[in-house]
Amino acid sequence: MDISKLTAKVIGPKKEWRRYKARKAALPEDYRTVLDAVQRYTYYRGPVTGDAIMSLLEDLIDVFEQAAAGGTPIQDLVGEDPVGFAEGFIDNYRDSDWVAKERQRLTDAVEKATGHRPEDGPAARDTGEDRDVAGADDDMPEKGEPR
Amino acid sequence: MGKQVTEMLKGTLEGIVLAILARRPAYGYEITAWLRDQGFSDIAEGTVYALLIRIEQRGLVDVEKVPSEKGPPRKVYSLNATGREYLDDFWRTWTFLTDRLDRLHDAGR
Repeated sequence: MDISKLTAKVIGPKKEWRRYKARKAALPEDYRTVLDAVQRYTYYRGPVTGDAIMSLLEDLIDVFEQAAAGGTPIQDLVGEDPVGFAEGFIDNYRDSDWVAKERQRLTDAVEKATGHRPEDGPAARDTGEDRDVAGADDDMPEKGEPR
Repeated sequence: MGKQVTEMLKGTLEGIVLAILARRPAYGYEITAWLRDQGFSDIAEGTVYALLIRIEQRGLVDVEKVPSEKGPPRKVYSLNATGREYLDDFWRTWTFLTDRLDRLHDAGR
């Protein structure tokens, strides 16, 4: 299926989508080509709901517009690892995809089985708070010390 | 810089950017320029932008849109109280890590 048709199907005929397309059309050609490629990639790796996709695309085009206006060569924007750039971007919208539900389900299942909330479950990972460092005060065994 | 530094930076770039913003508010390009200046030449500008979006979503920074002479308004990021707490935590973790790694390094000599 043509990628723009796929997008239109997921997002629907929203005015946000039309505005996004108009903004993309105003970008320099090399910027536009790269944005198309990143956009396509997000359909396979990114969020799946129309709202989340739209929110990702709007943030993405903000970045592309700012970089283009600042005269950043497109190569410097995406760097040596375009996939890494796209993945880093997509990571920001993970909570809105269906995998997020499964992450929560896994965490809940473990909690139910053990009666203990895993410290690094989805919630803890999001805030980055309260990460206890186990054994922080234990000394390392000396070299050659029998264990 | 090689692949190893890229991998290690993944876990620390957030703290680095917060530390930069603790000195003064800045927009995306300024932060990238500062990083390049300090020798972090392999960091793509887009990676910094993605990170800025993330720390904004998590409420660690305040954002102000400032009109720019050319192009769209610039988003200027400043560290807020939550971000400052998070940064303190980052430095505590950093100190712990470097301390333990130094010991490991010394022990292996």
